[in-house]
Amino acid sequence: MPYNIVVLVKQIYDLELVKINSSTGEPVLEGVPFRFETLSKNAVEEAVRLKEKHGGKVTAILFGNDKGTQVMKEAYAMGVDEGFVITGYQEGNVALTARVLAAKISQIPHDIVLLGNQSADSMSGLLGGKISAILGLPYVSNALKLEASGQKITVESAGEAENMKVEADLPAVVSVSQEINEPRFPPVMQIIQAGRKKMNVEQAQIRVESGIKVLSRLAPKSERKKVIFDDMDKGAQEIAKVIKEVTK
Amino acid sequence: MKFLVFSDSLDVSKQILSFLNGKGETRLLSPREDNSLRGYGASEIVLLKGSLTIDSVSEFILKEFAGSFDYLIIASTSLGRDIAGYISEKMNVTVAHEVFSIAFKDGKIVTKRFDLGGKVVIEEESSAKIVTVLPGISEGTPSGSNSPVRVVEIPAGKVRVVSVEPKKGKEVELEKASIIVSVGRGLGKKEGLQQIEPFAKKIGAEIAGSRPVCLDYHWLSEDRQVGYSGRKVRPKIYLALGISGQIQHIAGMRDSKIVIAVNKDKNAPIFQECDYGIVGDLYTAVQKISSYL
Repeated sequence: MPYNIVVLVKQIYDLELVKINSSTGEPVLEGVPFRFETLSKNAVEEAVRLKEKHGGKVTAILFGNDKGTQVMKEAYAMGVDEGFVITGYQEGNVALTARVLAAKISQIPHDIVLLGNQSADSMSGLLGGKISAILGLPYVSNALKLEASGQKITVESAGEAENMKVEADLPAVVSVSQEINEPRFPPVMQIIQAGRKKMNVEQAQIRVESGIKVLSRLAPKSERKKVIFDDMDKGAQEIAKVIKEVTK
Repeated sequence: MKFLVFSDSLDVSKQILSFLNGKGETRLLSPREDNSLRGYGASEIVLLKGSLTIDSVSEFILKEFAGSFDYLIIASTSLGRDIAGYISEKMNVTVAHEVFSIAFKDGKIVTKRFDLGGKVVIEEESSAKIVTVLPGISEGTPSGSNSPVRVVEIPAGKVRVVSVEPKKGKEVELEKASIIVSVGRGLGKKEGLQQIEPFAKKIGAEIAGSRPVCLDYHWLSEDRQVGYSGRKVRPKIYLALGISGQIQHIAGMRDSKIVIAVNKDKNAPIFQECDYGIVGDLYTAVQKISSYL
C-alpha cells in the first residue's frame, strides 16, 4: 500500500569551513555555507526508497533559515515530492525545534516520519524521542533496516550491546542510522528540474524558551608539544623512546 | 540531592555513579545485569527486564522519577538519548545534552559540551533536570559499596519486541586501550593493515581508524572508528598514521595523553594536535620506529 512519508531534514554549517578567530578563540560563522546534514540524507534516501517500493508521497520539512531552500533543492533532486522550509531556527534550542516540527507534521498526512538518529553538528539525539512524545506515536530508533507492510513497520534497531527487531503500528516515527543505506547522487537532469520546483517557505509561529544560558563558546586550546621531525630517522628514534617509556 | 541514573552501558554506569559519589543519593536503573555495578556507591540498583523499548522504559522512569528525585542523569547512548528526549517532553523540562562536565550550583547546573562537530566547547548554565552524559565523566573508581538490587519487569508499550540479538563479535574496548594505533586514508589500501598489525601487536596496541577508513572504505569495522561520531578514546599513546586530523577525528581522541602523528603532508591539521610528529611515509616510519624498539 502507498504511504505518506514525512522526512525531517537538517541543514548544518559546512563544519570543515568553520574557522576559529585566533585572538578570541570564537568560531567565525559569518559567510560559512550550509550543507545537507549527513544522517538527514540517509533519512531522505530511506523515504524515497519506501516510496519507490510501495508508492505514496514524500514530504520533507526543514527547520532552519532562508538558506534552507538550497538543501531542500538537493532533497527534491533525491526524490522528495514536496518541501516545507520553516525559518526561525535557534541554535541549541531542541525543545523549540521539536515543537515546530511536530506542529508541522500534524498538519500533513503521515504514516511514517523519518529522521536521522543524531545530527553531525550538535549530536543531541533528542529530537526523535521528543517528537514521538509530542505526537503520541510509537518511536523506533537507530534503524539498520526498515520494512513496511500494510499498517505495520518492522525495524532492526541497533542498541548498545544488542540489536533488537521490533514492530510498530503506523503511524510511527523512525530514526535512521548511517548504516541503513548509501544515499544516492541524483543525476544532473534531476538537479536542474529540482531547481524549478515549487517550495513552501514559512515562518515558525511557536515560541519556546530554551531554559539554557550560554556562558561561553570557544575552541578548546591545544596544549600539545608539537615536536615535528622532517628527518625520518631522528623522529623514529625519538618516538620509539616515548613508546618505550610508556610500555616499560 | 537525589539522582536517578539510567545507563545501558556498563562502563558509563560506573563512571556516572563514581562521579556522583558524595554528591547525594543515587539510584541506578540498568537494563544490563552485572554484579560489578554494585560496588560504585548506588543506594539501590534497579535491574530492568521485560520490554526494553524507548516508550516502555521511559514510562517506567517517569513514574520512578516523579516527586522523588532532583535530577535524571542518562548515559549518552542511542537508547539513553531517545529516552531523554521522550521524558523531557512528557515532563516539560530542559535537557543539558552530551555533556562532559557538570557542576551543581544553587539549583542550577553548569555543563560543558562540544558543538560544531567538536570545534568548540559550549559552557552553559541551565535549569535542566535531565542531563545526557558522554563517556568519561569520571574514571569510574569503585567505592567498596555493596548496593542492593531490585528486579523490575517492564510491561510492553506501543513498540513490540520481535527478537533480540547480541551484537556480533567481541566488543572492542578501545576506551580501555592504553595504546592505540589509528590509521587514516593515508594507508592507501586495506592490505596495508598487514604491515601495521605486527607493529601494533609488538607495542600492545589496539587498532582503530578514522571515519573514512571505517565507514566509507570498510577497511576496519565500524566499532573501531574514533571520532566525534564514533568512539571517544583516551589512551596513554595515540598514534595517528596517515590521518589528516579533521575536527571530526580530533574530537574523538583529544583526551589522549600523548599524540604521535605520521603524515606525508606537512600542512596536515594533525600536526597542530600532536606532541611528536614525522613528516613522511607511514609505512617507512612504522618500520623505522619498530627497529628502534
